[in-house]
Amino acid sequence: MRISLKVTGAQGQGVNSIGEMCAKGLKRAGYCVFGYKEYMSLIKGGHSSYQLDVASEAIESSETTVDMLVCFNHHGLERNALEVKSCGIILHQTPQWKYTKEQQKVLEDRGIRTVYLPSEDILKKLKAKPILGNVLVTSVVWALLGRKAEELKELVQEQFGHKGEKVVAMNFQCIEEGFAFLGEESGKWKVESGLRLPKSDPSWKDHLLITGSEAMGLGLIHAGCRLYCGYPMTPSSPLLSYIAGMQNKTGMIIKQAEDEITAAQMMSGAMHMGTRAATGTSGGGFDLMTETLSLDAIIENPSVFILAQRPGPATGLPTWTAQGDLLLAVGSSHGEFARCVISVADAQDCYDLMPEAFNIAEKYQTPVIVMTDKQIAEALFTQKPYDQKKAKLDRGNLVTDPKALKKLKSTDRYDPNAKDGISPRWLPGSLAATYCAQGDEHNGDGSVDESAKNAVEQIEKRMKKMKAMERETPEPVLTVMSNEKLAVSNEEPALDLLVVSWGSNKGVIMDALKVAGSGLRVGYLHYTYLWPMKTERLSKLMKKSKKTVLVECNYGGQLGMLIQMAGGPTIKEKILKYDGRPFFVDELQKLLIANS
Amino acid sequence: MSIPLDSGTAKKMSAFHCANQCTWCDGCGDYGIWTAVKRALSESDIPPHGVLLCYDVGCHGNTSDKILGYRFHGLHGRVIPFAAGAKLANPRLPVMAFGGDGASFSEGVGHLVHGIRSNYPITFVLHNNGNYGLTTGQASSLTQQGQPMNSSPNGIPEHTLNSMDFVFSLEPTFVARAWSGDIDMMTKVLKAAIGHRGFAFVDILQACPTYNHFATHSYLMEKCYDVNAEGHTPDDFSKARALALDTSKRIACGVLFQREDMPSFYERLEPRKDCKTTAVEEVQIVDTAEWEHEFM
Ligand SMILES: Cc1ncc(C[n+]2csc(CCOP(=O)(O)OP(=O)(O)O)c2C)c(N)n1
Ligand code: SF4
Ligand SMILES: [Mg+2]
Repeated sequence: MRISLKVTGAQGQGVNSIGEMCAKGLKRAGYCVFGYKEYMSLIKGGHSSYQLDVASEAIESSETTVDMLVCFNHHGLERNALEVKSCGIILHQTPQWKYTKEQQKVLEDRGIRTVYLPSEDILKKLKAKPILGNVLVTSVVWALLGRKAEELKELVQEQFGHKGEKVVAMNFQCIEEGFAFLGEESGKWKVESGLRLPKSDPSWKDHLLITGSEAMGLGLIHAGCRLYCGYPMTPSSPLLSYIAGMQNKTGMIIKQAEDEITAAQMMSGAMHMGTRAATGTSGGGFDLMTETLSLDAIIENPSVFILAQRPGPATGLPTWTAQGDLLLAVGSSHGEFARCVISVADAQDCYDLMPEAFNIAEKYQTPVIVMTDKQIAEALFTQKPYDQKKAKLDRGNLVTDPKALKKLKSTDRYDPNAKDGISPRWLPGSLAATYCAQGDEHNGDGSVDESAKNAVEQIEKRMKKMKAMERETPEPVLTVMSNEKLAVSNEEPALDLLVVSWGSNKGVIMDALKVAGSGLRVGYLHYTYLWPMKTERLSKLMKKSKKTVLVECNYGGQLGMLIQMAGGPTIKEKILKYDGRPFFVDELQKLLIANS
Repeated sequence: MSIPLDSGTAKKMSAFHCANQCTWCDGCGDYGIWTAVKRALSESDIPPHGVLLCYDVGCHGNTSDKILGYRFHGLHGRVIPFAAGAKLANPRLPVMAFGGDGASFSEGVGHLVHGIRSNYPITFVLHNNGNYGLTTGQASSLTQQGQPMNSSPNGIPEHTLNSMDFVFSLEPTFVARAWSGDIDMMTKVLKAAIGHRGFAFVDILQACPTYNHFATHSYLMEKCYDVNAEGHTPDDFSKARALALDTSKRIACGVLFQREDMPSFYERLEPRKDCKTTAVEEVQIVDTAEWEHEFM
């Protein structure tokens, strides 16, 4: 069982702060929370929302409808009132508000109650600053959820304790007033909502509430990344902000570059020198980075590019989500070369795949593109504390031992006969024979060599790395729904419905499968490693499945195209979405049922 | 004017000798710059393995496999940010970047602006031959107006960029000038640049007999003079700027301006203060548990 609440208002009105406070309180009360933000590309005004979906079991998706709607202004009442489910609650702050006749009828039919909170008057009475409206509204929400004022006070104490007793006391007063308000009002409005929190599960209490961007920042730190360079562009900016905010603790070198070309070049220079460095951007910025990516390929420089997708072309929908850049990641940059494209799906991946990305980059001495999107970057996940023992540092064929360094010849650096095309790499400053990291076609020591023979040798050397990568990257992961439970399967069982997807869709697909169960044998095949593309397992599964459906947030079904490009099967059934919004769980369920 | 080639350090200089043959035109100024770089490095006691030489793309970039040392030959216009990123990762290693006037004042002009402004602790050497050599003699933004060039037979319609005025407007901490025929002078300013605390901008007026028929070797030989020998000290910003700009009669060469009181970009990084290690040495799996508490 799950419930959802949504806070709406103009940007800057406190939508996010209420959302975050409620999320924290609910998690601590023993719930799994998934937070989803919608906002527009402007600073003040507009219409934004923060939705929290709450359950006692793991969820990573939102519903199209909500149990409680909190509105800062009349726009929410106009636009979102009909998203409220039967017996839900609308809490608003617009004096003398009147619904349209049509709205009124629907709301009555659904038994939805509307509560007007005169927050301005209450704040005036308390002589409290307008900013305290957030705490006041939160306390009413909290009371409506049937929770205790003490829980909220604890949070406030934690958050504002450093601001002194006075501030805390004022906050407490607002909380008490919020609870008292409902006491009176509940009689009048007969607030006995259908809104019931599910049974709690204390194991959520010690989880983290973390956005994908923060998780990725922690993941980069964990991976030993010591330099991060970026240029602000939604949805990659929160990563830059987080990791920059951490610099005094981590000692990392952070550079907000003059443009994305610079960001990519600085990352590449730092990697070439021998540290671990990363850069992150969105589609437009990535376009600017692609010449550098190609350079990294020919000089065999390990490099990590984070590509946070939003809908294009051009500026597109800056603050919304999409998966339209998969083929860009795979096909960007001139020339043919080995690269690895992987995608995170949630806060777990955001952390785990960072060391992995660097290990791959250093092992194969080639660029790695890590894909994410606005949905992951800004969603709030309830995440188990990260395992600190799992990641291993793999720096590949990096020579640092002084004796081994002495033995190296200049021509070893790009030796075309190296196994799997992976030749020894050693760092500038090493007491060893020197070489040139050469952007022109070159021979072993990096000298320019335009001969036909050399060209063939070197291209083949670099492409051998693709073969090795293909051999070593994992197959996509299958999760099967059986006995009402989702479980990873290492077999290729016969299925009624096989769902294939990647990236941020994972969470909502898993949640949809849980509910869609209904006796069908359903499986989900998730692609984390997108290039090199593996299709063998998919082929086997498709042969045994009654039906296979591709789910993506783009117009073309790019994963499907990529699978075909790699010689894999054609997935004819597609559920595609390209309106800037992620899939919602109830929406996807209906689509899956219609397709099964 | 005699051009001294033997500095008495031939033995050390030979450490940078590379077997690949040079491919520049007869009389190209790149030969002189190439020699002076080797000399400056050896006279600064920097061995080939103790430096990273980063080359842009252009005729000058073809030095990348004609000299030993750790070298990098990247993209057209982009050498400064690569060199800066490398330097930040390991500030102990001297890093030099070389770029043409096309690379630095057209394709990658933004990087020059921010390189100077950021005061990265690197040396930047401008191979200033007043044209796009490698792509066969098109005009750069430093080409004199009225000069017929490949792709602009009537001369360029745009006015010529006053490069020194531009550079000085960015508040540089080091500006030097030399010309490609004077290896002694180049060696002197390059050594000073390598020893500089922040971003050192070295403008080398480079002869390009094939495409630059206005600022030729003999023209430069006639007009260039050692301004430090005439008593100029590099601590006066306005004087240095005036000297750099006025090339009507004579061209002032030498260290025109230098201030050492400005911290470099790296020195300004708060998290790196009192840090004894380099980012290169710090790569390891880091336990993040303590930073997860704020999300609880
Ligand atoms: C992105 C890109 N655009 C264009 C070129 C072609 N290109 C190579 S060198 C060059 C100009 C070189 O001029 P300059 O930087 O002054 O160097 P020079 O050859 O004069 O030493 C150009 C345009 C390129 N390599 N890359
Ligand atoms: S074109 Fe000019 S710069 Fe290029 S090699 Fe020839 S003389 Fe030198
Ligand atoms: Mg030039």
